[in-house]
Amino acid sequence: MAINVLIVDDSGVMRSMILKSMRLSGLQLGDVHQAANGKEGLDALNEHWIDLVVADINMPVMNGEEMIDEMLQNPALKDIPVVVVSTEGSKTRVVRLQDKGAKFIHKPFTPEAIRDTVKEMLGEEVCDDVAN
Amino acid sequence: MSQIDSIVASTAVETMEKLAFLFSFPDEERKEAFPGPAIAGKVGFNGLFSGSLALRMTSSVLPELAVNMLGLDDEEETNQELHLDAFKEMLNVICGNLLPALAGEEAEFSIDAPEVITADDSDDVIEFQKAASIVRLMLEDGHCDLIFFMDGKTPEDILASAPEQIAAP
Repeated sequence: MAINVLIVDDSGVMRSMILKSMRLSGLQLGDVHQAANGKEGLDALNEHWIDLVVADINMPVMNGEEMIDEMLQNPALKDIPVVVVSTEGSKTRVVRLQDKGAKFIHKPFTPEAIRDTVKEMLGEEVCDDVAN
Repeated sequence: MSQIDSIVASTAVETMEKLAFLFSFPDEERKEAFPGPAIAGKVGFNGLFSGSLALRMTSSVLPELAVNMLGLDDEEETNQELHLDAFKEMLNVICGNLLPALAGEEAEFSIDAPEVITADDSDDVIEFQKAASIVRLMLEDGHCDLIFFMDGKTPEDILASAPEQIAAP
C-alpha cells in the first residue's frame, strides 16, 4: 500500500535524507510533497491528499509544533499521522508532542528508525515484503 | 580539556560520524585557528540560557560532507548550494544534541536557523576570545573548530545547575 508523504523541514538536504531513508527502508511511497516550514506544510495539506507527515520542529515562519497544533484544530487534518524528526532534546517538549499524537525520532536517525516508526503508525502493509 | 570542552567535543565527534560519516578526533596540540580556506557558520539559541554555536571547517571537506549526508554515489555531482545546506544542517544537529548534553533533558531551547558567516576563509569573523568553549578537531582531510558562546552564564553555572546531563550521543 503506497502512502503519500509530506516532508517538512527547512533544510533541503535533510528533506532529501529523510526521503532517501524512507525509500531505503522499504516503505512504499506514493506522491511525495515537501515544505520548508509549517505554513508551507499546511498549504500542502490543504492541496493534496497526505497519508503521513514527517516534520522538523525548529523552522522559521511556523515551527513544527505550531503546525501540529493547527492540524489538530482542523477536522480534515487532525487524524493524519505525524512523525517528528528533530534534534529536540527536551523531554518536556517531546512528551508534549507525543501527547498531541506525534511519534518522535531523534536526529541523527537511521532508515530503520523511520521504517519501524511508520510501520507502527500505519501498519505492516506500507512496507515492501523484500525489505521486511 | 574542561568538562564543557569534553561535552562539546564528544557531541560533535559522534554527531558528525552518525550524520555524515565524518570521522574526527580532538586536536589538543593545536592552539590556534587552522589556516583557510574555511567556511564558518553560526547558530543561535535561547531557553534556559542563550548563546550560539559557531563552526569553522576546512572548505574542501564540504563536498564529502554533502555526498555522505545525501548518500550519493561518487560520480554524482553536488553544488555550492548543497554544500552550504549540508554544512548548516550539520551545525544545527550538533547544536541540538549539545544543549541537552549540557543542560539536562528537562531544559527547553529554541534554536534559530543556522547561517553561514563566511564561505571564503577568514578566521577573524569569530570572536574566539569571548567563547565559553573552543574545541579543535582534526578531520581526515582537514580541520574543524567548534566555538561555543553563552550569554551571561558561565559554563560552571550551567553544569552545576543541570539536574541530569544526558550522555552525549
